[in-house]
Amino acid sequence: MKNRAILSLLVVLAASLPLFMGPYFLSVFSTIFVFLSLSLSWDMMLRTGQLSFGTAGFFGLGAYASVLLVIKLGVNPIISILLGGVFSATLAFLLGFAILRLRAIYFSITTLALTSVFSVVIRNLPRLTGGASGAVLPRPIFGGDPQKIYWLLLLLTLVIIAISAFFRRSRIHYAINSIRNDEITARSSGIDVFKYLLFVFVVTSALQGVVGAFYAQQYAFVAPEATFSLNFLLLPIAMALVGGVYTTTGPIVGALLLGLISEYLKLIMPYGHLIVYGIMIVLVVLFMPQGICKPIIQLLRGKTKKGGVQSADLGN
Amino acid sequence: MQILSKKHYGYLLMVLVFAVIIGFWQPHALIYGIQRGSLYALIGLPLALVLGILGVLNLAHGEFLTVGLYLSYLLFHGMGLDPVLSFVPVTLFLFVLGGLSYLLTVKYVLKAGHLSQLLITFGIALILTELINSIWTTMSRSVFTTYSYSSTKIGNFRFGTYEFIYLLAAIVVLLGLQLFLKKTRLGQATFAVGQNPAGAQIVGINVGFVYLFVFSLATAILGIAAAIMAPRVAIFPGTGAPFTMKSFALAAMAGLGNLTGILLAGLALGIGEAVVNAIPGGGGWADIVFFGVLIIVILARSFRGAKQ
Repeated sequence: MKNRAILSLLVVLAASLPLFMGPYFLSVFSTIFVFLSLSLSWDMMLRTGQLSFGTAGFFGLGAYASVLLVIKLGVNPIISILLGGVFSATLAFLLGFAILRLRAIYFSITTLALTSVFSVVIRNLPRLTGGASGAVLPRPIFGGDPQKIYWLLLLLTLVIIAISAFFRRSRIHYAINSIRNDEITARSSGIDVFKYLLFVFVVTSALQGVVGAFYAQQYAFVAPEATFSLNFLLLPIAMALVGGVYTTTGPIVGALLLGLISEYLKLIMPYGHLIVYGIMIVLVVLFMPQGICKPIIQLLRGKTKKGGVQSADLGN
Repeated sequence: MQILSKKHYGYLLMVLVFAVIIGFWQPHALIYGIQRGSLYALIGLPLALVLGILGVLNLAHGEFLTVGLYLSYLLFHGMGLDPVLSFVPVTLFLFVLGGLSYLLTVKYVLKAGHLSQLLITFGIALILTELINSIWTTMSRSVFTTYSYSSTKIGNFRFGTYEFIYLLAAIVVLLGLQLFLKKTRLGQATFAVGQNPAGAQIVGINVGFVYLFVFSLATAILGIAAAIMAPRVAIFPGTGAPFTMKSFALAAMAGLGNLTGILLAGLALGIGEAVVNAIPGGGGWADIVFFGVLIIVILARSFRGAKQ
């Protein structure tokens, strides 16, 4: 397959990046990978038709679980990253029984409120979590070696991309697609809507927890304000929208594009460079609900006919 | 005109009984709760109006409030205009800003489903915050007037009086909105659009204009809130953001189309928050009152809906 050759070439290129790039660019790409992973996990939930605003919440839970496991119990940092994901998944499983019965704005708002609840609870348990000032690890993972951090993060990102691609190809894809398009029809075709929603919610929360745990281990600290920052929600959403939602390539392209643009803007505009994310969200929702990837691919393949891609529209 | 319909008496009684009990136990918490609660209600009313008529949850609600606060700050420091009096220019400015936001963005997503609506207002919120951030940085600003810290004494119990202006403003805005919806032609048209937009269109109501007006009006009301709260809050780019969620909590508690309920819910939650604050060591938990109530109310409604 031609596609497979291009894909493996890209992976090799990404993996060899540390050999010819300095620590600054490595850290830029590491940050982009973090947001790329969050963006994909947010999109995987969106494919079921549920707009989750809880990304930052499960990210923060994983981060706290991992850091506290290392500080209090002396767990190995890499194992603690996985356990961070397990913690987020467990909480998502328990909460899922209640909140996955909600739809539309009620689901979105409840997930956003839960993020605040997590952060308030953590801030008010100073003995366990360090309270408002947060907790600091004695040293970052791998002693802060940017190359090793980059490789582990790349591995994590590739795993998440693989899971996302698997979701697009397996039976799950057809089930969640039909839930998004018309839940009543899906239900009457014998799809256990709640079971699928719970499954996707738990998997995506676990991924967000793992990414959060890694991020905390990389910077060796957690604090309620910084760890549950809405940036971990807004930026991934903007990235997925720009690249194109309901796909695996969309969030990847969006994350690389927006990540590099905002990194550049940060240099010339120290305050308010995130405005580019807001403008992108508004423009994409208004003019390009399918994101930038699909029109470009169609252009390259010479397909000029419009229509036939209705299911990819945001308006469902 | 009926401000309090029968369904409100029960709630009103509950809020009153609750208030009296708190009043004996923690008089400071009661006063402070009424003041904060009225402010929440004043800010929650326009959100509920837009949610009820347009069906759009405006996630940029708090950011419009922040814009109003900065404008009030600028007028105070640039022209020496009294912050409370600045409500006239601030309200006019926000009326126009709201109208422009509607015409440029919200208008196009009204039929596009809740996903696009939430995302686009989220985008507007981000643009406004970051714009303020790039102009005035994250530094905290303030507007100081001596009268906003005036206090009075009953017996040996001293409390601040300025913030009762929130209660006054909330009642005035509530009465004004009710009068508008019941007594004016445009208001009656708004009411009709809120109930059935297609039907309103058929009987010749200009639905597009009603939407534009309601969105502008709702944003303008935030100007009143911004002007009167300016002397009492730290003004920074994130000042308004928490009010979006709090306003939605009130709207969810009161139910759609129940404007009087917003005021009662605001008072109840304001007092509840103040009581948690007054408990020794409970200060940090006060934030959870709103989110807890919000989650419980939404879940309760969804389960009740599922059984029917």
